[in-house]
Amino acid sequence: MAKKLLMGNEAFAHAALEAGVNVVAGYPGTPSSELVETVAKLHADGAARDVHVEWSTNEKAALEVLAGASYCGARALFTCKQVGLNVASDALMSLNYVGVRGGCVLFVADDPGPISSQTEQDTRRFAAFAKVPVLDPSTPDEGFAMMKAAFDLSERYDTPVIVRPTTRICHASTFFEVEPETHGRPLPEDGFQKNPKWVIFPKRAYEGHGQINRRLARIAWDYDNDPALARFNQVVEGGGEGAPRVGIVTGGVSSAYAREALALIEREAAAADLSVPAWRLLAVGTPYPFPAETAAAFAEGLTDVIVFEELDSVLEEEMLKLAGVRHLSLRVHGKLTGAANDRGENTAEGIAGRLGRFFDRTSGTDGLADLAARTIGANHLSYEGPLPVRPPVLCAGCPHRGSFYAVKQALRGREAVLCGDIGCYTLGNAQPLDAVDTCLCMGAGITMAQGFAVAEPGKKQVAFVGDSTFFASAITGIANAVYNGHDVTFAILDNATTAMTGSQPHPGTGVTLMGERRRPIVIEEVLHGLGVQHIGFANPHSLEGSVAAARAAIDFEGPSAIIFRAPCIQLKKPDAPVVINAEACTGCKKCITAIGCPGIGFDAARRGPKSGERGQAFVDESLCDGCSLCAQVCPFGAIEGAPKAAEEGGAR
Amino acid sequence: MINVLLAGVGGQGTVLAAKVLASAAAARGWQVRTAETIGMAQRGGNVTSHVRMGSDGEEVFSPLITPGTADMVIALEPGEAARALPYLASGGVLVTATTAIQPVTAALASVPYRAGDVVAGLADALQGGSFLFVPVDDAALMHELGGASRKSLNMMLLAVAVAQGRVPLTLDEVKSAVEACVKPQFVAMNLEAIDHAVAAYG
Repeated sequence: MAKKLLMGNEAFAHAALEAGVNVVAGYPGTPSSELVETVAKLHADGAARDVHVEWSTNEKAALEVLAGASYCGARALFTCKQVGLNVASDALMSLNYVGVRGGCVLFVADDPGPISSQTEQDTRRFAAFAKVPVLDPSTPDEGFAMMKAAFDLSERYDTPVIVRPTTRICHASTFFEVEPETHGRPLPEDGFQKNPKWVIFPKRAYEGHGQINRRLARIAWDYDNDPALARFNQVVEGGGEGAPRVGIVTGGVSSAYAREALALIEREAAAADLSVPAWRLLAVGTPYPFPAETAAAFAEGLTDVIVFEELDSVLEEEMLKLAGVRHLSLRVHGKLTGAANDRGENTAEGIAGRLGRFFDRTSGTDGLADLAARTIGANHLSYEGPLPVRPPVLCAGCPHRGSFYAVKQALRGREAVLCGDIGCYTLGNAQPLDAVDTCLCMGAGITMAQGFAVAEPGKKQVAFVGDSTFFASAITGIANAVYNGHDVTFAILDNATTAMTGSQPHPGTGVTLMGERRRPIVIEEVLHGLGVQHIGFANPHSLEGSVAAARAAIDFEGPSAIIFRAPCIQLKKPDAPVVINAEACTGCKKCITAIGCPGIGFDAARRGPKSGERGQAFVDESLCDGCSLCAQVCPFGAIEGAPKAAEEGGAR
Repeated sequence: MINVLLAGVGGQGTVLAAKVLASAAAARGWQVRTAETIGMAQRGGNVTSHVRMGSDGEEVFSPLITPGTADMVIALEPGEAARALPYLASGGVLVTATTAIQPVTAALASVPYRAGDVVAGLADALQGGSFLFVPVDDAALMHELGGASRKSLNMMLLAVAVAQGRVPLTLDEVKSAVEACVKPQFVAMNLEAIDHAVAAYG
C-alpha cells in the first residue's frame, strides 16, 4: 500500500477499482471529470487491470452501456455532473424499476455556488424522485469508503445507488492508502440470464414499483443498523455541561464546516469567558432513504435543531417529517425558516455566525452571535484600491475568437440571433465579442435557433456548437431542422477536443480512453447524412476566408452549416508571437476592442510617430500564440505575424 | 493547526506549491487537507489553494481555510495578495511577488491597476500589528537567475515564507518535498532558485 496525495475524484476512482469495477463510463463535466480520467490513466499504466473505461457520447449513452454490463453481472460505474443526470434520467428511471445485477453505482457530482454549472439542482432530491438510494460524503476519505459500500449495497438489493459528492469534496485532496494494482472482479460464468423481468412492460413496472418500495424500507433500516452503512451517520456531542437541548443536523461538506465552526466558537468563547450550550450534532451521510431511527435517537431531548446543507432543504424536510410523524415538540430551523442560506455554498464562518444566533435564541446564551460576528471570519484588514477583475476568457490564440468575429462580420447590417451552447465557446458571450445571445443546456442552441426562426422569420439565426457537444446532443436537433425545413445556420466550432473540461477525446477524434485509434466520425459526413445541403469550411485563424464562408452559409436558404476547424491551443505548440510595429501603431486600440485577446495589452506610455501621445498596443509574449488574428484586424498593418492562410480549413 | 493560503493566476504553479507543502507536512505524520479552485476559474482567472495541516495531531475537518486564520498567505501576484488579505491570521506572514499580471480587462479599464500601489497599500495595511509582510522583487530574482526561473517562482515564495520561521516547518523539509514532488529534471533548478531567494529574503 502506498500513501498518496489524491484529489477526491482520483481517490474515488481508486476506490471503485479496488471494489473490482469492470466497466466505467461517463461524459465529462466539472466537477466530475477526473474520476474517469484517473481510471483511464491507471489502466494505461497497467495498474488497473480487467476494466473497460470510456467517455460515452453523452450521459444517457453511458448509463445504458452500463445497464447492459450490469445485467451480465459486471460491476458498473457511471460518472457525470449534476445536469448530466438530467440527460441520463430516462434510462435511470426505468433501470430502477427493472433493477440491476452487478453493482451499478452512479457518481453524480453536484456544484453548489454554482461554480461552473448552469443550475443548483440537488441530486439528493433527484434520488428521492427516482427512488434510488444516495450516499453523500462529507470528506474525500468518507467518499472513498462510500464508493466501496455503494457497490455492495447495489448488489444486496439489485438497485442502482447514487454517490453524490459536491465540488469541495471532488476537488479537495488528502492522503490515501491505495492498492498498487487492481483487478476487475471476475464476471459470473452463467452470464446474462434471459428473463421477462428485463423487459419493462406496464405490468413489470407495477411489480418493479413494489420491489422498489420494499427495498427502500430495508435500506433505511440498513442505514440505521448495518455498521457498514450506519457509520456514515455520525452523532457527536460537545459544548457545555448537561444533556443537550439543541441540535445541529448537517449533510455533505457542511458537516465539516459545522465541526470547524463549532471548534472556532468554543475557542473564542473560552477566550472571552462566555459559555457555549451543550449541543448534539448529526452528520447525515445517507440522506435517502432517510435514516429516521437514527434521527429520532439523535432528537431525543432536543427542543431545537438547526440544519446546514447545501442546495435544497432535503434534510430539513426530513426532520420536519420526523417531528410530525412522531409528535415531537421539536422546532426545526434551516433554509425554510431563513436560518440557513437558501442557495449557494456554505462556509465555516457563515455557519459560525448562524450558530451564534441560534444558540443565543434557543439556549439563552448571551453574546455568542456578537462574538462570532466579531471574531470569526474577519481580520479587519483591507486594501481599498482597484484590483484587477479576472473573468474567464477565451485563451490567447483560441480559434473560437476568429469564428465568432467572422460570423459577426458576415452578419453586419443584418438582424440576427446568435444561439450559444455549453463549452469554452460560451465565453464568446463576453465583451468585446458579444457573440452569444442565448445559452440554455447542452445542444439547445441548435434547436432554439429553429424556434427563433419560426417566431421571427425576418431575422437570421446562427447556432454555435462545439465538436464534442455536436456528438453529445446536437445531431437530433439538426435532423429536426432538416425535417421541418428551418432556415438556420449551424456554426460548428471543431477544435478537435472537449476543451472546457480539460481536453477529453470524443467520437470526432477517433481516440478512445482504452488507447485505441479508429476512424474518427467526420462531422461533415454526419451533416451530409442528415441532409444538410450547404456545408462550408473555414480556418478561423484566416479572417477573410472565414467571413466569406460564413456569409455563404448564412445566405443559403434552408438549414446550412459552416465548420470552423482549427485545433485547441492546448493541443499544439505555440507559433512565434506577433510583433507590434512601433512605427506604424496609431494607438487606435482596434486590436483590443474588436477581439479582446488576453495576449494584447495597451501601454499609455509608449510613443511612436503615428500614435503621438495616445500610447500603443503591446504583445504579451508569454501568452501570444501567434495566431495572427489581430494582424488581420489591425487597419494600419501595424501588427506583424505569419498569416495562417496556408492551412486553410477544409474537409477532413 | 497550520493554515496556508496560496494565491495566484492560472498557470503560475499555485497548485504544485500546495502539493509540495502538503507533502512536507505529511512527512511529519500530520493530517493534511488541501483544496483548490479549478474549472472555469482556470482560464486566466485567479487560483487559490488551501493547505490545512493538523500540526498538533488535531483532526482537520474542512478543506477550506476560514478567513482570519491563515498563518501564511503566499501570493504569486500582488493583486491576488490583496484579494487574499482577509484570510491572514494575527501574527501571520504575507509573502507576495511584486510583479503584476494584467488581465485582459486592464486594457479597457478606466482606472489603471499598478503593482506599486498595491504593494504600498499592503505594507500600509500590515504595518504596526503582529503581521509580517515580505514583498519579494521577483523581477530582480528572475534577472539574477535567468528567465527560465519564472517557473520556480512558486517554490521560491514558498521557501521564503517558511524561512520566516513562523510555522514549525523547516527549509530542509520543504526542499525534501520539492525533490519528492517535482519532476526530476526540474529539481536542481528549483533548489537553486530556492537557495537564491532565501539568501535574499530569508
